Amino acid sequence: MSATDGEEAGGASGTSGSAESENAMFECNICLDTARDAVVSMCGHLFCWPCLHTWLETRPNRKTCPVCKAGISKEQVVPIYGRGSTDKKDPREKEMPPRPQGQRSEPEQQGAFPGFGFGDGGFHMSFGIGAFPFGIFASSFNFNNGRPGPPQPGSANHAEEQVLSKVFLFIAAIFMVWLLLA
Amino acid sequence: MTSMEKRLHKELQLLQKEPPHGVKIDVESIHRNLTEWIVDLEGAQESLYRGEKFQLLFKFGDRYPFDSPQVMFIGNNIPVHPHVYSNGHICLSILTDDWSPALSVTSVCLSIVSMLSSCTEKKRPPDNALYVKTCSKNPKKTRWFYHDDEV
Repeated sequence: MSATDGEEAGGASGTSGSAESENAMFECNICLDTARDAVVSMCGHLFCWPCLHTWLETRPNRKTCPVCKAGISKEQVVPIYGRGSTDKKDPREKEMPPRPQGQRSEPEQQGAFPGFGFGDGGFHMSFGIGAFPFGIFASSFNFNNGRPGPPQPGSANHAEEQVLSKVFLFIAAIFMVWLLLA
Repeated sequence: MTSMEKRLHKELQLLQKEPPHGVKIDVESIHRNLTEWIVDLEGAQESLYRGEKFQLLFKFGDRYPFDSPQVMFIGNNIPVHPHVYSNGHICLSILTDDWSPALSVTSVCLSIVSMLSSCTEKKRPPDNALYVKTCSKNPKKTRWFYHDDEV
């Protein structure tokens, strides 16, 4: 395989040498192949996730970047998602933990309610009729004091909350009917 | 093909394409046996080893590049250097403790040439006689203590 590789590379180098060196930019620093399941360290060095993982397992008590010897950890690498990438897993890597997730923060919501814009947009207010003894339309003042946001769609948490919300809607409907009939 | 073989083929290809100054390999012999490379080194111009020729033997294990290769001088000209024993073993931290998978045959060769170049007096390590008598054949089995980073 290598011999043909060599010939191909040799033949191509005359015509598309620049393309080849561009590809070298995206080669894993360990296997020297185009990085697969690419991750980049905080110090900016590119690796295949399987390669880097093997290296970190090789010296569990001294985890350093293979290129610059900076401190490195599994949690502190960023996966790279190219447009053409497919997330097909190589079945040979059963033992391999999945690549760490990218960290994504929600953008700040600003000016959602222009009338109630209290500076930081973290002020919510709702009005309702207080009906004995459970407020169906409870009135509440919520200062957005660091409550966790709604779960991401698709997560298990999200599905659970959907079910709960349907259950409460059903109870509320029964209450309304009962109030009207009584 | 294992990842070790793949990586060695890749290194061979790069070495053939851009051989560093003073480093030569015998491609034919490497194709016959991929896990043992003999590399011809030349002493750098402005060094005590100018004009001298040396041979390095690299042996690669299955865990290469995660594990360092065995590297030693062979042949009839072993450089006289405070970190090179007369049996060819080399006291160099990147060959054991400071090995990194981002290093390669090329970078190891360059490190060794540079180690030779910074030498100011040609002499054997002080414990040469004892070491050569007692050491294992595999230099990686030696517990090296890296204390001298001047040469």
